[in-house]
Amino acid sequence: MNKESLKFLTEVKKKPRFTPQTWSQLWKQIVIWVILAFVLYPIAWVISAAFDPANTIVGQRIIPKNASFINFIRLFDSELQPFTSWLLNTFKVSLTSSFLGVCITALVGYAFSRMRFHGRKTGLFAILLIQMFPQMLALVAIYLIIFWIGHYFSSFGLDTHAGLTLVYLGGAMGVNVWMTKNYFDTIPQSLEESAKIDGATPFQLFVKIILPLTRPILVVVFFLQFMSNYSEYVLARVLLATNENLTMAVGLQTFIQDQISQRWGVFSAAALIGAAPVLILFWVLQNQLVSGLTRGAVK
Amino acid sequence: MKRRLLLVLGLFLCLTVLSGVYASEEGKLLIWADDTRSPILQEVGRKFTQKYHINIEVQELNFREISNQLSIVGPSGKGPDILIGAHDWLGQLVVNGLIEPVDLGDKKKDFAPVAISAFSWGNELYGIPYAVESIGLIYNKKLVPKAPNTWEELVAIGQKITDPKKKQWGFVLPQPDPYHTFPLMAAGGGYVFGKNTDGTLNPMDIGLNNSGAVRGMELLLDLIKKGIMPTGIDATTMATLFKEGKVGMIISGPWYFQDFRTAGIDFGFTVIPSINGKPSRPFTGVHGFMVSSFSKNKLLAQAFLNEFIVTKEVMYLLYEKGDRPPAYLPALHKVKNADIKGIYDSASVGVPMPSIPEMNSVWSAWSNAIEVILNGTQAPQGALDNAVGQIKTAIEQAKK
Amino acid sequence: MRTQTRLKRLEKFFASSSLNIALLSKLIILGISNAMALWALTVLLAEGHYLIFTILVVGALLIDYIFLSERAYPLRFIFPGLFFLLLMVVFPIGFTIYVSFTNYGTGHILPKEMVIKQYTDRLMLDEGHPTYKAQIFKNTAGEFAFLLTAPTGEQLVAVDKAATPLTEAGIKLEDSDGDGKVDRLGEYEQESILNIFSSLGKLENLTFAYEDRLLKLRTPETFGCYTPRYQYDPSQDALIDLQTQTTYFAKDGNFTSVTGKSLDIGYQTIVGWRNFQKLFTDQRYSAPFLQVFVWTLVFAFLSVLETLGLGLFLAVLLNDPKLKLRRLYRVLMVIPYAIPAFITCLVWRGLFNTEVGIINNSIFLPLFGKALPWLQDPFWAKVAILIVNLWLGFPYMMLICSGALQSIPGELYEAAMVDGANGWYRFRRITLPLLLSQLMPLLISSFAFNFNNFNVIYLVTRGRPAIPGSITPTGATDILISYTYRMAFEGGSGGDYGLASAVSLIIFMIISIITWINFKSTRALEEVPQYE
Repeated sequence: MNKESLKFLTEVKKKPRFTPQTWSQLWKQIVIWVILAFVLYPIAWVISAAFDPANTIVGQRIIPKNASFINFIRLFDSELQPFTSWLLNTFKVSLTSSFLGVCITALVGYAFSRMRFHGRKTGLFAILLIQMFPQMLALVAIYLIIFWIGHYFSSFGLDTHAGLTLVYLGGAMGVNVWMTKNYFDTIPQSLEESAKIDGATPFQLFVKIILPLTRPILVVVFFLQFMSNYSEYVLARVLLATNENLTMAVGLQTFIQDQISQRWGVFSAAALIGAAPVLILFWVLQNQLVSGLTRGAVK
Repeated sequence: MKRRLLLVLGLFLCLTVLSGVYASEEGKLLIWADDTRSPILQEVGRKFTQKYHINIEVQELNFREISNQLSIVGPSGKGPDILIGAHDWLGQLVVNGLIEPVDLGDKKKDFAPVAISAFSWGNELYGIPYAVESIGLIYNKKLVPKAPNTWEELVAIGQKITDPKKKQWGFVLPQPDPYHTFPLMAAGGGYVFGKNTDGTLNPMDIGLNNSGAVRGMELLLDLIKKGIMPTGIDATTMATLFKEGKVGMIISGPWYFQDFRTAGIDFGFTVIPSINGKPSRPFTGVHGFMVSSFSKNKLLAQAFLNEFIVTKEVMYLLYEKGDRPPAYLPALHKVKNADIKGIYDSASVGVPMPSIPEMNSVWSAWSNAIEVILNGTQAPQGALDNAVGQIKTAIEQAKK
Repeated sequence: MRTQTRLKRLEKFFASSSLNIALLSKLIILGISNAMALWALTVLLAEGHYLIFTILVVGALLIDYIFLSERAYPLRFIFPGLFFLLLMVVFPIGFTIYVSFTNYGTGHILPKEMVIKQYTDRLMLDEGHPTYKAQIFKNTAGEFAFLLTAPTGEQLVAVDKAATPLTEAGIKLEDSDGDGKVDRLGEYEQESILNIFSSLGKLENLTFAYEDRLLKLRTPETFGCYTPRYQYDPSQDALIDLQTQTTYFAKDGNFTSVTGKSLDIGYQTIVGWRNFQKLFTDQRYSAPFLQVFVWTLVFAFLSVLETLGLGLFLAVLLNDPKLKLRRLYRVLMVIPYAIPAFITCLVWRGLFNTEVGIINNSIFLPLFGKALPWLQDPFWAKVAILIVNLWLGFPYMMLICSGALQSIPGELYEAAMVDGANGWYRFRRITLPLLLSQLMPLLISSFAFNFNNFNVIYLVTRGRPAIPGSITPTGATDILISYTYRMAFEGGSGGDYGLASAVSLIIFMIISIITWINFKSTRALEEVPQYE
């Protein structure tokens, strides 16, 4: 359905309503390149540092003198930073928690979109508001919760990925529920009505009708949650301890804390490698993302 | 229904298997250590296990998280038996009731006196020190063939090296950074906390605005005015400039040695030049082993530390991995590296960083004062007076 | 067409389906929750955690109710989210509220009973008395006995909480293998050093009364003489220092003597509204409040505005299907979002450096002949932090705007972009209002996020540069949360979690009010019309 509407949109645009003006395209390209310069300038330094064997943070040249892959080699070779495990851990935690997070968000969004119950509006407002609470002190409480959970179920305790996943799921109900709900609102209810007559329960309607139709927004929510979990380090730093268990963000952070200038190059290399999967994911998902957001934000 | 029953049973089974531990247990030692120290402790722990059949588990934690996590877990009576840490946590850990005095017995005399005094609180010793650290003057031998002994020499050398066109400077210290600025302030008699008659620190006696402290700041200001030192340089930038050979002398510590060596800089380490004939006194930091109040094996922990850790070999191993001079004298005598000895010398003339919890209120006010002084926004005396006022209000308010 | 075939398939599915997914999942969820609850309950009861026990009972019953009652049907959908929200967000908020009424913080971590126990357990090594060499014996019942030998040769037998001189003990020493060393003490047999180590945990708690002092293991092989240091007197609720005969009364979380001297370890206790009172009466909070608050508002508002501005602009630009390479551009624009902020903030700090930073050296010095004091001047530091935040935040806005834009009929913004003044007018009057009303909940939440954006402030400027002459360490770029947390954590004697919690609550109230006003005025809570 969405592919169709997209195709439709593109077709409309392809009609030569305006004669294609080269200068306007040119102007747009120039503006984009100016903005790209601003966006990529700091990144250029990260890239340059990654290939610069001298490992410095300031005063480096943008084109390193003896560019080499030594920092990348150091990154994967060193015993101090099990970088490969960090990367895998990050994927494990962010994929699981974003997947479960999407399930939760979809269920909640469906309830708020399709059902009428007491406290619905208040609930929606509360969901947004509650996530605005300053989290600083929550760290202590969350640490204690995971500590006690771990006391009884050690596989969900401190220094476990399952425990961290549980914590991340707490953030699943937030502004994303709004996006999902708004998207669900745009799906005509007539589709469900006929199935309802056949005796389907709301849960069946949800699984069989709504979910397939709303895949785009689910992809969006997935990407947004993936991003936030992927780079999260405040909670992870407190909950994870063993070097082998850290996520990439925490690993990088602990490993620069004292030695930032010594290992700046290695560190930059790590940041680049860490960013790559996200960018690839975004490249793959971007069509879904754009069309998904379309409907979600619709009023 | 059958399915449900199976499920329930399965879960019961899983759960009973899963319930585990993260806490001190009788007859087993749990150690919290950072990633540098934990492999060594694991190794030593294996030997202990072989000899006494006592299991030792080493839990790896981020060094800075150790004290935080202990104060969260402590009240539930959980946590490790032994932890490693820095002496400046001592005050906090003691007033929180989290650590226990240790008993070094006769071995106490084999430790550097400054290390023992750093780990003492009241009349009790609360930690077994393994390393001392301090800062000093690091100089690029190519630019500065002979290290200055006095501040006047430093200024003279600095003026000679400085060349604004080449973006080359004579001297840099991290700004605004109380830790690296303190030695200059202390040389003329500046201090953080004064001492009571019984030797304990008096948090209401703050000597950061006395004439010695002001003099130290004036010296730095003078360097900026003469163009010898650039402003607004943080530690990272400083290290980079030094690595590129753009700076002749910096004030810093052993944590950069490895880095400078890789960068191919021929550098030397020495004590910070004296001011008006008085030595510049840096803060001394000491790392050590502590025993948790919640340990169910205090004696065992003691025995492990006294018998297996306080040995020449293990202490030397800890030095090799940590790049800090050992606090245990027999291990120190084994060290050949001149730079490491330099750090030890620097540490022994230093002032142990105050470990009373009130130290917490000092840092921000102090570094803000240094910042406005070096920016030229406020004169040294006024800025430091203001900082001391801020610190005193903070300490008084907390008591209310 | 496609929907119709899908419906037909569905009909078939429901008619033939023998497997009821809903029922099955209901059973599974209930099974798991009840099993876990039951198991946890037994453990909790055994360990005496009655509060958690009650919470769990209520929780488990609630779950059963939700999944069995038809009235609570919508809750079944919300339940998984709600569960994690309650556990990981609401409970911590509750904890924060509780802490804000306590003195929890450095020096007040442990409950009172634990502090008392620590003091009363504290024994002082009496250096005036000898250290005994100890030989350890054990009988078949597993009880221990000790033979203690002083350097003078004096021997004591320590058994059953008391030590007596060997001559009076009436216990026979035996040397069964004749090697000159005692290996039996009456019914007790000598223990090997190996066994001693594994039972040290028990042995270290054994004390033996001898004359006016206590004998206790000092090392695994020696005994020392100890005297107790403190005694607790419940009638006065005070600890008495037996050495100096000073009484320390429990008051406000500390044990304090009449002369005002306090024992080192304080305890955790409820202090009522004290933390809140402090916030309103302590000049250090009230004096810079207005200044910091205004900057916080400006910072949060400008951050939303600038990121939205650039994000929207790019979304519009990249939405043009004729634009070459737009897929690539989109990915490139997302890069700031993909690299952890603490890395890029460090890079920005380096770029902004006045003396060696690239921004000054390659832009401002050559072009204007002047270096800007980026991080040292209050105004420029604010500009710098806004630039960094723009860089960090616009990709998110670009993403959500790209989506929102496509819901608006294509001609509108096409026209807007190309049609010159007329198009701009239509964009401003039609597209923009439409977009803003759609994005309002997201914008409001973004405002709240920046209001509390401790991280970016901390990573880029740490609140600096300092404001000279302030009565408390304040920085020109400090926002409410960075300023108040610093006060709470760097005040007096270390972290004051009680105070920090009170701060969190007050800030939350401020942000709630702002959000509420925003919602009311933008009507973001209104229902979304259906697309038919």
